[in-house]
Amino acid sequence: MTAEKEIVYDRIPVPTWRWLGVNEVRVPAAVFRDAPIQRLVTIPAGETREMTVVCRSEAAFEFRAELGPEAELRLTRVRLSPEGTPCADKVKATLAENARLVYTAVELGGDGAADLLDVDLAGDGSRADVAAFYFADGRQRLDMNYRIRQRGKRTDATLVVQGGLSGEAEKNFRGTLDFARGAAGSAGRERETVALLSPKAVNRSAPLMLSGEAEVDGRHATSVGRLDEEKLFYLTSRGLSPADAKRLIVLAAAAPVLDRLTDGALADEIRSQIEGRLSDG
Amino acid sequence: MAKSKTYIEDIERTLYDVRDENRPRFRSGTGLSEEIVRDISRRKQDPAWMTELRLASLAVYHETPMPAWGPDLSSLDMDRIATYVQPDAVMAGRWEDVPEEIRGAFDRLGIPEAEKESLAGVGAQYDSEVVYHSIQSSLTKQGVIYTDMETALREHEEIVREHFMKLVPPRDHKFAALHGAVWSGGSFVYVPAGVEVKIPLQSYFRLNAPGAGQFEHTLIIVEKGASLHFIDGCSAPKYNVTNLHAGCVELYVREGARLRYSTIENWSRNMMNLNTKRALVEAGGLIEWVSGSFGSRVSMLYPTSILSGEGARCEFTGVTFAGRGQHLDTGATVLHAAPRTSSVIHTRSISKDGGAAVYRSGVKIAAGAKGAKCSVNCDSLMLDDESRSDTIPVMDVREDDADVGHEAKIGRISDEAIYYLTSRGISEDEARAMIVRGFVEPIAKALPLEYAVEMNNLINLELEGARR
Amino acid sequence: MGENLLAVRDLRAGVEGKEILRGVSLSVGKGETHVLLGPNGSGKTTLMNVLMGHPRYEVYEGNAVFDGEDLLSLPTHERARRGLFLSFQTPEEIPGVTVENMLRTARQAATGKKVGIAAFRKEMAAALEILKMDGDWAGRYLNVGFSGGEKKRTEILQLLTLKPKLALLDETDSGLDVDAVRVVSNGVSAFRTAENACLIITHNAHILSSLSVDGVHVLLDGRIVKSGGAELVEEIGARGYARFLQAEG
Repeated sequence: MTAEKEIVYDRIPVPTWRWLGVNEVRVPAAVFRDAPIQRLVTIPAGETREMTVVCRSEAAFEFRAELGPEAELRLTRVRLSPEGTPCADKVKATLAENARLVYTAVELGGDGAADLLDVDLAGDGSRADVAAFYFADGRQRLDMNYRIRQRGKRTDATLVVQGGLSGEAEKNFRGTLDFARGAAGSAGRERETVALLSPKAVNRSAPLMLSGEAEVDGRHATSVGRLDEEKLFYLTSRGLSPADAKRLIVLAAAAPVLDRLTDGALADEIRSQIEGRLSDG
Repeated sequence: MAKSKTYIEDIERTLYDVRDENRPRFRSGTGLSEEIVRDISRRKQDPAWMTELRLASLAVYHETPMPAWGPDLSSLDMDRIATYVQPDAVMAGRWEDVPEEIRGAFDRLGIPEAEKESLAGVGAQYDSEVVYHSIQSSLTKQGVIYTDMETALREHEEIVREHFMKLVPPRDHKFAALHGAVWSGGSFVYVPAGVEVKIPLQSYFRLNAPGAGQFEHTLIIVEKGASLHFIDGCSAPKYNVTNLHAGCVELYVREGARLRYSTIENWSRNMMNLNTKRALVEAGGLIEWVSGSFGSRVSMLYPTSILSGEGARCEFTGVTFAGRGQHLDTGATVLHAAPRTSSVIHTRSISKDGGAAVYRSGVKIAAGAKGAKCSVNCDSLMLDDESRSDTIPVMDVREDDADVGHEAKIGRISDEAIYYLTSRGISEDEARAMIVRGFVEPIAKALPLEYAVEMNNLINLELEGARR
Repeated sequence: MGENLLAVRDLRAGVEGKEILRGVSLSVGKGETHVLLGPNGSGKTTLMNVLMGHPRYEVYEGNAVFDGEDLLSLPTHERARRGLFLSFQTPEEIPGVTVENMLRTARQAATGKKVGIAAFRKEMAAALEILKMDGDWAGRYLNVGFSGGEKKRTEILQLLTLKPKLALLDETDSGLDVDAVRVVSNGVSAFRTAENACLIITHNAHILSSLSVDGVHVLLDGRIVKSGGAELVEEIGARGYARFLQAEG
């Protein structure tokens, strides 16, 4: 796919040095051979919806959600596309007062995968709780751009991303918490933990935090590196092989995300795929 | 109680705002053309290779676009900037020999006083040329060279030629190219192997002429096992026209050597500060950057450390204070290119009165940099909601045997903290001031003492009492 | 009864329009130690914060006179300067400001006089000794990275150094082991004289064993439902608040 044409799919909210390679999200042009699959969901005031989208093939998918006051959307997006199929997903959500988005993403597939999440906490007291897990190996390329714009008063955002990279996988994650002026009393938390399982994997992380409002509490933390030696040692001292111990640790990182899935069969499928791919590596 | 907003008075500037009456001997035409560059080169009696470097840089400058990111630079009009302003003075080795109006400027800043008390050598640049230079003879005896760049180019041409704009090539970015074309003045330091320079050397840069640019070049080489602390300070009086500072600092830290490079930038608010600083650190070497950004209208300043040898280290400590009308985009970049290299970046930024403070960083761990470690911690304090505070860090990790951690916070002074201190009898204004000073304390500790004191004086913490 | 130091009358207060204290009256005399008891959520911490002037609390009715002066109209720091002290349940962490710096600033603010570093250190050393804290303590950033027990001891260090007239101690002993409770109660004992007083919130009878208690007040749902002597502490320790709840109901 390297020879194929790429298109710029999206950009980082505030650009930085070009040499870092994070300003734009690129996807193979092939993704857009067919028109994107589009969905628009409107959730009326006070109602709750739960939706799960599983993507198993080459596709571009666009999802828009508008949440009324006090509405809640529990959206799960899982990508299990077989290796070598490029894909691009876009999820946009706008939240009215006290609405809540619970977003769970699992990224296992695709090659040249782009994943956009754009949340607009427009209403006072609106909340977004975002958790994502990814695993990439082989020559997979994964590109994630998550942006939470906090505009209402007393909004709350949590963005937790965990993942593992093996083989020659390459991953970009841009996570932006953007506090607009007027978002007084808002809080945002962002945490990314990346486990590098191979010397040839490439990880780029760009945790942006933008603020035009003083009365906010924004925090982010990123940690990139090898698996925790102490944990590995502990597990191997209990008789696990290093490979098994690694597998266990990566699965443990996936657990909080998989626990949010209500579809047990889907969670099992994801778990066994991760296990299988970790054994190959 | 109504939410109290913190008000902190602008940094005291009157000291710096005194304009001196020195009439330049020569002032280049404004704008940038081959004739102007050739003229500067001729006046400075450059060797031929330097003239070529200038002209090649000029060509790069013309073909390089403005940066596509960062602060708005549209108010910068090169056609209105005088690139070379020669003060009416020849370089002196004694303050008595520096013309009175120029000496007055440095007297007011306390430079000759500091030299007597705590410095091993001083350089002072006024507009485009260095007007004063001195170094303790004990250091000269040990082979330490500390002089202005023009003298270095004459007396140590080979060393200069080997290193000049090799770390920051003119192609690096538009203002590096501009610097290559019109550079003038600056300092050259050479510390031979094993020599420890225990007392700091300091260069002071002052841009007095309105509508001018300052393009000094600093080149420092610290040989194997040697050590040095170098301080640079900058200031300029305020004019209504834009001044430009596009200096360039190139630091070579050889095996096991240590260099601490401290800067307090307090340019006036009509200054565009587009400075480039870069260090190459060899095995076991250490570069320590201490950087305070208080002045200028626009700053783009990101010292870069290239950790090229095994076990090379970088420590970056920075504080940025952006007030009304200021857009200070600062940070650091580090390239880990060898095993067991380590870096620590520690920054604090404060924004108030509509100022924008941006922390920007890039950390790259190259494949093969086994055991590399990087830890970044940047906190921002916003004192009102007219201001902006952005954090734009990027980490590029290509080695699994590495440990990269990044933490950042944006927030304001908490009401609870104020309440806690006032419950001990401290007034609200004092409590705010204490918290702000506490916020920058880790940085103040890293500053040379005289600058820590200066910073405390500079941040004149006048707080408006919040009323119910 | 000693001369009144604090007299609270019909105090009604709360947060964001929600009333928490629904008419509290209470007096503490010079040289006395009073204990405030009550289940979680009954308003004990609220009362202390209202007395100290926490910005989030609103006073709807009633008054409080401290040492002959109207307390509630004063800003927090003025209350402190007049001799009121609150030992916080969860003290704030203030990075970059050392314990010593804060205390010296507070002392200077209260007295209006410069306090010499050497003399102040000497004085602090005595307090540190009582609290079994080492000398480095004073140089640490205020509460930053302190354990729960260290924070509580730092509060008592401040009490001993600032020497207020009335100390409000909000669960200063909670979460401490037996030894730490002893250290803290030694500190409180060292503080107490015939001229000053204490109002203590505690769940722990232990801290009271070393202090002679002059009055006990049971706060329930924003009202003081019972005032009495030390015997109330034992009674509630044995039987809880059930009796008072029934009386309320």
